[in-house]
Amino acid sequence: MYKNNFRKVSVETMKHLIEKINVWFYSKTLKEKVRFLFIMLSISYITIFFLIYSFFIKRNMIDYMKENSYQSMVSIGNNLNTEFGAVSTMSQLIMTNSAVVNYLKDDAGNNTRLIQNTMMTMYDISNTFNYVSSIYVFRLDKNYINIGKEVTYINTNIIHDPEWQEEIIEKSGLYVIRVNGNGAFRTKSGEPIISFIRLINDLDTQKPIGLIAINLTTDILRNSFKDMASKDRHFCYYDDQGNILIGEEGVEEFQDMEINQKRFEQVSLEGLFSTKILSYFHVPDTPFTIAKMEYLSFIKYLSSQAIMVITIIIFLTIVCLIIVGIFISVYITNPIEKLVQYMDLLKFGWNRRGNLRLSNLGVGYLKNINNNKLIELNRLIDELLEKEKAMQKAELEVLREQINPHFLYNTLGTIADLALQNSADEVYDAIETLGNFYRRFLSKGSKEITIREEVAIVRDYLKLQKLRYEDVFEDEYDLQEDLLDIKIPKLILQPLVENSLYHGVRLKGEKGIIKVSVYEKDQRVHIVVYDSGVGMNSEQIESLMNENNNKSFGLKGTIERIRYYYDMEDVFEIRSEEGEYCEVDIKIPL
Amino acid sequence: MYKVMIIDDEKSLRNLLKNAIQWGELGLEIAGEAASGIEAINIIDEIKPDIAFVDIKMPFMDGIEFSKLAIQRYPDLKIVILTAFSDFEYARECIGIGVCEYLLKPIVRADIKATLEKIIKKLDAEQPKKEDKEVIIQGNDTIRKIEEYISKNYTQPDLNLTSIAQTFGFNASYLSRLFKAETGKNLIDYLTECRMEQAITYAKQGMLMYLTAKMVGIPDPNYFGKCFKKYTNQTYSDFMKQYKNK
Repeated sequence: MYKNNFRKVSVETMKHLIEKINVWFYSKTLKEKVRFLFIMLSISYITIFFLIYSFFIKRNMIDYMKENSYQSMVSIGNNLNTEFGAVSTMSQLIMTNSAVVNYLKDDAGNNTRLIQNTMMTMYDISNTFNYVSSIYVFRLDKNYINIGKEVTYINTNIIHDPEWQEEIIEKSGLYVIRVNGNGAFRTKSGEPIISFIRLINDLDTQKPIGLIAINLTTDILRNSFKDMASKDRHFCYYDDQGNILIGEEGVEEFQDMEINQKRFEQVSLEGLFSTKILSYFHVPDTPFTIAKMEYLSFIKYLSSQAIMVITIIIFLTIVCLIIVGIFISVYITNPIEKLVQYMDLLKFGWNRRGNLRLSNLGVGYLKNINNNKLIELNRLIDELLEKEKAMQKAELEVLREQINPHFLYNTLGTIADLALQNSADEVYDAIETLGNFYRRFLSKGSKEITIREEVAIVRDYLKLQKLRYEDVFEDEYDLQEDLLDIKIPKLILQPLVENSLYHGVRLKGEKGIIKVSVYEKDQRVHIVVYDSGVGMNSEQIESLMNENNNKSFGLKGTIERIRYYYDMEDVFEIRSEEGEYCEVDIKIPL
Repeated sequence: MYKVMIIDDEKSLRNLLKNAIQWGELGLEIAGEAASGIEAINIIDEIKPDIAFVDIKMPFMDGIEFSKLAIQRYPDLKIVILTAFSDFEYARECIGIGVCEYLLKPIVRADIKATLEKIIKKLDAEQPKKEDKEVIIQGNDTIRKIEEYISKNYTQPDLNLTSIAQTFGFNASYLSRLFKAETGKNLIDYLTECRMEQAITYAKQGMLMYLTAKMVGIPDPNYFGKCFKKYTNQTYSDFMKQYKNK
């Protein structure tokens, strides 16, 4: 239970952490992200590089060490045997010395002079050799003489134990090496000694005449590895019982070392930063086993050259990474950031296209795309502006057309004629209408007015036009009352009516009708201007919206304005029969 | 007494001009008026004006077009263009073609008087006009050629006595007299007859008036209507209906 809970908690903590890292990462700018990524890459590169390098090198080094280890152990064994060879030589010198032979061959073992002589000789010989702790020469009658640098106790009972002697006799003159003479010798200091024992045969008869035991200090063992020991390499000797004979203090690994019958064995204890190699070797012809423990520290794997190579590689890699980083920074992140800033600028306006200096490829390409977009955007804006301009122009044009001297002056002329020929009432009526028309027509402010007002303008307009062109037309109105308060763009009706008069009815030479209708059909308000004028054929209708001439201008401008105002294309329809009628149907969304 | 002709598409403006000025006091008389350039071309030979007031903006044939023709055919005719201020560029064109005067609308009597006085002086200076020598040519052949010319070219709207006379190298009034002597008809009437006879055949086919008017060389349907009524004693539409009923 507890463990599960803990796991759950830890999983949640992990999730939380990942979430946090995510949030942190996304909050950074592109540049920071790239930097972060760059640093992470560098670190992981170096780490992985070291891991891989150390793994392989370590393997090789350990293998090399192991191989090397055997060789060194063998050579230590050889050293030791060489030393023993020297001891053997010394023993032969003693054995063949006439004083010693005389002593052994003498019938009585207590000839003092002979004993002294023999001891002197032994001393002289042994003095030239190292490691000698004491030398014992035994006669067959159990008498013995000895010399020694160190106080040594002897247990003669053991020496004369046939079991103890068995191996020595078997060897029949070849030496046997025993630690502490297998219990026969004991130093006062307790230091172990190594006993070198052999039979002494008579040179003539080849029969044993005595026994020699040369006790050696353990320095003989120490010296065998002295040259090889170091602070990372430790040695120790075991006796044939597996007890540590000599060894460096504080090296615990030797205590627990398992030693079996194999001549040579090694194990490696690998740690993270260092490896210990433990090995042992049974030194041939001796009861000794040499053991070695070697530390291989991490640093040791790498030679100074290797370190230099690695350093150069890492340095080069970092340089490469930096170059890549700079490249990314200069050609990617910085341009993108510039681009972003540039785009930000664009929020406030347009047309700064091309001010940005970027290379042509990559992000520069983006810029170009962006610029193309901008061109497109600018084009659209231009188009919009153009539309707006066209719309205002159309509106102005309508105004100008109507404010233009012809209409006003001619109307004034007409009124003047009325004044000269007709009644004052008629004149008053005409002036009132004119005033009314212009007041509505020129009213400033809103661009939109109700259909009612728009129709009123048309009524006044047609009333004035009727004064000018008598018997040319009659005006009619068919208006659906509830639609009249809908607002529409100003002055869309008057230009249509004017067209009906000048380009429809008047050209026919007969009295015509101009009719304005407002009704609702299919969710649209229809404002229809009908005239019984000359009409148009389909080609003329077609060209009406495409050509620029006086005839089309009023209609075209008006349609453009309506389209723009309602933001839709389908806003009108022209129905006509040549010579019969023409009907412009403005369809306004409800 | 110099003759004045007023050419304007708006009747009330023609009336105003007639009534606002004391023409008699200036030694002028209103000899005639026309509602379009087309009408003017057709009747100018009868009216023989010395001065013409021409509105610049008229349907079918505007003031400029008319003036160009008139200056070509009647070099002595004094033309006064009536224009609104916004047509100033238009007016400059008038000067380019040799129109001597133009007046801005709305008309101001003092300006008109001043202009008229200037024109009268000019006209006075040009007097006396030398009479064209009248060479009598036996012209049966010529008249037949002229008749043929008219019957082939009556669809041209600018055709009138003067243009025909110029084409055949005659003095207009001489040609008129010669034509009448030879055929017993006025040349203008002959031209109208051609047009109306053709119009009648169109009317019988149910052709709309404004189209007929265009096709017979009187593109101003209003003036055409007048001519048609005068010729047939019926309006075009009545005539058409009547024929349909048959």
